[in-house]
Amino acid sequence: MTETAVVHQTHDVPQPKQHGKPGGILRHTSIITGTVLGVVAAVITYAIGSHFFVPWGTQNSDASQVGLNALIAATYFAWVIFFMIGIGAFAGPIRWALGHDLTHDDAEYMAGKGQGKWRYWKYTTDHKVVGTQYLIVSMVLLGLGGLLAMLIRTELGITWMEVFDPNFYNSLIGTHGIVMIIALIIVVTGPFGNFILPIMIGARDMAFPRLNALSFWLLFAAIPPLASNLFLGGIRDGWTVYQPLASQAPIGMIGYQVTIIVFAFSTGVASVNLITTSVTMRARGMTWNRVPIFVIGVIASSVMGLVWFPMFQYSQILALSDKVISTSFYNPIMGGSVWLYENLFWLLGHPEVYVVVIPGTAALMELMVVFLRKPLFSYKVAIAGFAGVVGISSIVWVHHMYMTGWAPSAGYPFMLSTELISIPFGFLVLVMLGTLWRGKPWTRLPMMCVYAVVWDKVVGGITGVYLSDVPVDQYMHGSMFVVAHFHYMLMGAGLFAAIGATAYWFPKMTGRMLDERLGSIGFWVAFFGFQLTFGSMFVAGLQGMPRRVLQFDNAFNISNWLSTIGAFTIGIGMLVFLYAVITSWRGGKPAAANPWGGKTLEWQTETPVPLENFPVLPVVTSDPYGYGVPDPYDTVPATDKQPAGVA
Amino acid sequence: MSIDNPPTIEVDQPEEPTNRPAADHRLKEWLSRGYVRRIIVLSIIIGVVIVPLAWVVIHFMNLSGAPASAIMVEIERTMFVFTVVSAPLMAITLAILFYSLTGWGRVTGEDPPMQESPAIRTNGTAVVLWIAATSILAGFLVIWGLVELATITSYANGSTPANQQPNGQKAIDINVTAQQWVWTFEYPDQSAITTDLLVVPINVPLYFNVTSKDVVHDFWVVELGIKIDANPGAITNTGVTPDKLGTFNIRCAELCGLHHAYMQTKIKVVTQAEFDSWVREMGGKRTV
Repeated sequence: MTETAVVHQTHDVPQPKQHGKPGGILRHTSIITGTVLGVVAAVITYAIGSHFFVPWGTQNSDASQVGLNALIAATYFAWVIFFMIGIGAFAGPIRWALGHDLTHDDAEYMAGKGQGKWRYWKYTTDHKVVGTQYLIVSMVLLGLGGLLAMLIRTELGITWMEVFDPNFYNSLIGTHGIVMIIALIIVVTGPFGNFILPIMIGARDMAFPRLNALSFWLLFAAIPPLASNLFLGGIRDGWTVYQPLASQAPIGMIGYQVTIIVFAFSTGVASVNLITTSVTMRARGMTWNRVPIFVIGVIASSVMGLVWFPMFQYSQILALSDKVISTSFYNPIMGGSVWLYENLFWLLGHPEVYVVVIPGTAALMELMVVFLRKPLFSYKVAIAGFAGVVGISSIVWVHHMYMTGWAPSAGYPFMLSTELISIPFGFLVLVMLGTLWRGKPWTRLPMMCVYAVVWDKVVGGITGVYLSDVPVDQYMHGSMFVVAHFHYMLMGAGLFAAIGATAYWFPKMTGRMLDERLGSIGFWVAFFGFQLTFGSMFVAGLQGMPRRVLQFDNAFNISNWLSTIGAFTIGIGMLVFLYAVITSWRGGKPAAANPWGGKTLEWQTETPVPLENFPVLPVVTSDPYGYGVPDPYDTVPATDKQPAGVA
Repeated sequence: MSIDNPPTIEVDQPEEPTNRPAADHRLKEWLSRGYVRRIIVLSIIIGVVIVPLAWVVIHFMNLSGAPASAIMVEIERTMFVFTVVSAPLMAITLAILFYSLTGWGRVTGEDPPMQESPAIRTNGTAVVLWIAATSILAGFLVIWGLVELATITSYANGSTPANQQPNGQKAIDINVTAQQWVWTFEYPDQSAITTDLLVVPINVPLYFNVTSKDVVHDFWVVELGIKIDANPGAITNTGVTPDKLGTFNIRCAELCGLHHAYMQTKIKVVTQAEFDSWVREMGGKRTV
């Protein structure tokens, strides 16, 4: 042992030679070179490909449609690949393959050292830059999805006429759905998993900084194909894009499929990175019973994303191959099966809800202890809850398919598993209630989000119990009730938790305090608008209103008018909140290093956080929940094993 | 800043930690605490509000017609029972949530509060009780759901749930074909007459063979409480026995393209005599 230690002292390890200035080619690459190269490659691919792929002269319209699909897919993939090349994503691996590995100076350049604001527009590996990029992109996507939601509610609120062309309306709901799903998947783990988590566990960066940049820029590259949908006929088939309806869709559908295929790589890379970082990069002394609960939540979410997102990707790869090389995985006329698509889709489709909800919940658990000055109630129950949800979430997907006729008797086991998942989910509610128990809340915006989210979870959870039941689902499936239920979970419990997390970590990420008054006004306006919107939507569902329609019976008018009023209220509230975020970011009150008095590590380092987070890496000696005074009621230690009644 | 004083130590607490008071004594002491009593009262109030509210809301369904089949009656009953059994847990959760807003004190202001709350790390009794309560609740919901599923399945097959035997009436077969964006109904036993407006006799079991010519649709007879996807290349089945005269809604419940919203029709439940004359009028012959 001693011998090897002597041989491998640091200065004996050969370091790569520095060629030229630090950074090399990366000094010249940025979003501009990426966009230019991507667009040029896409145009060239389209120009060349239109001669090869599209048999323009033929009379066979099917063949020419397949050729056109292939051309569009090739164009999109050319954009993605050459954008990534242009931004310098492959510079590191290529140099490594050529034997010119990155030097320490190169790595520091890639982390954005000395580049000022410009580093946000480059292939920067610093986890804080990536976290901030994710925050901005998720806010842009939420804004786009929210705008589409306003258009949907406009159509549904004006009950006496068709405002939009039905095709446009159908593409509104599809695009709103998938944009929001992508935004919500990244909205907590993206900004806070990347920016906060490494600091929280006492690391200098993520385990794989270059993969971190890769995950963000892949996401970025996936957005233009999705957005271009609106100009290529749109996603007219809901966010689920069921087959074979999707195979009738205009070429915009290719954009959806390319986006999901690329986005799945992005989430896979991000998940591997987050899990590895949490497992291997924790500070000395941070044993598994001292890990902040947010880290556990991010791991749980990443595990689900890593395991189940590929199913979604496969479903779209098969769909794309149906489109571009005339396979017939989903085409019943050629022996394919629509149920194959539905199964593959929902294998991710259901765990995805927990991918969204769990990190948000964990973030709220993390912040509520600070605002209550109390330890987290039953840390182990919280972990058991996360583990239980992750485990059971993998065997519930068929509850989305009760009414498909695929396997009527599958209703029995999947009803069982779906209702069982309420037990570990209940653990999480117990932990939050137990933490609230006898605490004195410091009623700042992050803490108020906890109250809002627990309320939404109760409503969403109870209505979920109805939907898990096959007989009730026989009435509810495909109705507005389902829409209201999942908005309570995804928006009520997911997005409002993300707002709480944003308000909580805003001082650390931006160095400024979020405007409490404006932020709170925006939040509460949105919250009450939300209750009106989706409370009314439950009623519409109970009355028998199907989802994804643009005209309906007069019986549903009142609930739809109320929903539309509520939706615009949400819009106003969100705009106020966004205004508060922007103005506070630009000129808010400067924040102290630890404005909330938190005990987790991210509050122990200075603000703004320096390049490698800590001057000296911290050593952890206890868990971060050592708040509170001894319980005056309880003179008996909690661990006391004396049998009761020994008086 | 408004900070409550921490609760004072009860005088009857034992001096020695090992001399734990008897369980019933501890329960009595716990129940005597002011906040516990207030939360219990709040829970009862919320629970008492939830149940009738749910009853009212669930019967909102009557806006699109009262239940017109035994299946729909079972569905409404299940929803109401689920609400009633979930109400206690929901009420306790909301009561603690609302109470904690100010009940144990509240801190406002710019700076982190100096006043710490009690350091309760866990509580074995609370954890065990909660897990037991949620497990019993989930177990009940599962068992109720399984029994109800068997019940509505036997109704759908035209048998009575009690003995699982066909109740002697021959079901009327109806072939349902969906296509963008119309429904076609064919009565194979009635000389294969076809219609786009479903007419059926009351109290006779109906058995639907559902398929689609193009994309996935969903055959939803709202007031009768039945729903099944219409898939291309496959036949799915469902059944129901309407027990109420009237005209009810058939809607497509799966997005099927441009005119999905308009893919609606009606089902007219009529008497046997009216049905027979309608069949004759349509040029069919009742073969049963």
